[in-house]
Amino acid sequence: MESSSSSVSTATPVGVTPDYDDRIVKMFFTATVIWGIVGMLVGVIIALQLTFWQANLGPWLSFGRLRPLHTNAVIFAFAGNVCFTGIYHSMQRLLKTRMFNDTLSRIHFWGWQLIIVSAAVTLPLGMTQSKEYAELIWPIDVAITLVWVVFGINFFGTVARRKVQHLYVAIWFYMSFVITIAVLHIFNSLAIPATLFRSYPIYTGLTDALVQWWYGHNAVGFFLTTPFLGLMYYYLPRAAERPVYSYRLSIIHFWALVFLYIWAGPHHLLFSALPDWAQTLGMVFSIMLIAPSWGGMLNGLLTLRGAWDRVRTDPVLKMMVVAVSFYGMSTFEGPMMSIRAVNGLAHYTNWVIGHVHSGALGWVGMMSFGMLYWLVPRLYKRELWKPQWAEAHFWLATIGIVLYTVAMWAAGLMEGLQWRAINDAGQLANPIFLDITARLQPFLLLRVVGGSMYLVGAIMMGINFWKTVRGSDEAAQTPASVTA
Amino acid sequence: MTKETNRLLGHADEADGIEEYDNPLPDWWLGLFWITIIWAVGYTVHYHFIADRSQEGALAAELAAAEERWPEQAQAQLAFSYSEEAATQGEQVYNQNCFPCHGMQMEGGIGPSFVDAEWIHGGQAANIVQIIQNGVLDKGMVAWQGILSPEQITNVASYVIRRHSEATGRPIEEILLPPDEVGAEDAPS
Repeated sequence: MESSSSSVSTATPVGVTPDYDDRIVKMFFTATVIWGIVGMLVGVIIALQLTFWQANLGPWLSFGRLRPLHTNAVIFAFAGNVCFTGIYHSMQRLLKTRMFNDTLSRIHFWGWQLIIVSAAVTLPLGMTQSKEYAELIWPIDVAITLVWVVFGINFFGTVARRKVQHLYVAIWFYMSFVITIAVLHIFNSLAIPATLFRSYPIYTGLTDALVQWWYGHNAVGFFLTTPFLGLMYYYLPRAAERPVYSYRLSIIHFWALVFLYIWAGPHHLLFSALPDWAQTLGMVFSIMLIAPSWGGMLNGLLTLRGAWDRVRTDPVLKMMVVAVSFYGMSTFEGPMMSIRAVNGLAHYTNWVIGHVHSGALGWVGMMSFGMLYWLVPRLYKRELWKPQWAEAHFWLATIGIVLYTVAMWAAGLMEGLQWRAINDAGQLANPIFLDITARLQPFLLLRVVGGSMYLVGAIMMGINFWKTVRGSDEAAQTPASVTA
Repeated sequence: MTKETNRLLGHADEADGIEEYDNPLPDWWLGLFWITIIWAVGYTVHYHFIADRSQEGALAAELAAAEERWPEQAQAQLAFSYSEEAATQGEQVYNQNCFPCHGMQMEGGIGPSFVDAEWIHGGQAANIVQIIQNGVLDKGMVAWQGILSPEQITNVASYVIRRHSEATGRPIEEILLPPDEVGAEDAPS
């Protein structure tokens, strides 16, 4: 590992060891790897359940209960802990100060893990608010709010006592994450408790649906997009050792993205009881999101100018390039799917699942892996145990995503076309819904294969990091020259 | 991207060593952004004010087009008449479409039984045909008109009538009498 002195020498004055809290970064990193593997494993299990109904075991391990467990685990446990890992690591360095309060950091960490464990217990037991990505029952919702406020105080406390004047763009993206997720979570989860495990939402009918999809869409926007763009803006130029392509583009696309994203939720409710004007609003704001989203992709890819030779050999940069490319692809696909005519074909089909996963596996997953492969050796001051495993992980994950996405495109188009097909007599060409469902099986099986490859890659990463971290005990007295 | 300056802004010491270029927005990127904004305004004005479109309007137009293309189906509803031949042919229709809810032996399941004396929505032939055609959407019964042809509906209704008659001993002639009044629970409240 090079000392990367050329790029950090200005950040850290020679002879001064900054007093950063890296212990909390290691804690969040450990949780990330564990929950990532668990969440992806549950994903493969439910993919198997959709292919072979026999894989549904009892009510507790049936698709209906494991599916929210999968989504909560990969979004809030895996992606959440990735964000916290990267934010706690990078913000201290970007702001040249230790976290505001170590106790708040610990409360944040243990509180968040406790929430994840309680989700993993309650969801298989069938306790749910039945709002997508917000299934957790009200006591857990309250806990999320409290832990998030702790995180918010710690975050803005750190920003307040920063030792730099200029706020780097990554911090702006992190701020949008902290603030918006608080607003989204609180307002979507407002409910009147009836018992300890049950509550009634304060919204009814259409209002409930609209608030839910305002939340659901912006969970994608502000949990899986803006914090990861922040991570990209820190870790991609650090890994490439290149200047960010355009400061102006980063500011413009940041404000355009956060302003436009928040209105796009109604595109989840096209052709529903939602008034036509609100459907139009969701659709046109989605279209206007293409350029602001691509601004992030452009700034990422153009930052690599002069470093493309290293992209061929460095798994970190490879993963980041694939991540940014999938980000560009899925932020074009999404607006296309929000167009009324396309949505009429795509909605309720597996195409939507494919779209979500090209973002989740491609963008969020690959960005996370790239960041971790760069961060872990520096965090533990230790060479990666097997770099060739990281290379294998890259190929397994990339091919896995492609198989997954292609399978879901094919399945979704087939479903959408067959549902609406009409024969010459004016009757449904496929009157029996179950027939179409049965025809999906080969595609669903291909999805299991793609997802399994992705999972195997993640497990290899876990073993690789385990070996790397354990090795660091022997090398506790590492010379200071490898600090990064 | 011809206007690239590649001039460093020089605040790397405030960003953990990360430098940033002072490059302008790429022209094509800015152009794309403007096009989507103009399109968004244009689409909204066109959809809601110039073309005055709506999803209800789109549905009505689609239904009108279908009625024009397949006019015989609209009239064919009234043409039900019972025959043994139709009842025999209806078995296949039943076994392809109806059994998942009403059972292989019409004993019921998700939907009600046809082999007992009770009819929820009227037990005369005309009631049965009407329910098959229009469904009971609140209860999950599909409106089969448009999915099954008028002939298939005639056949499957005849088959249900014959099996009901065989199971309960109620004469077919009685079932073919004019329809029952629709029960109170079906009336709009």
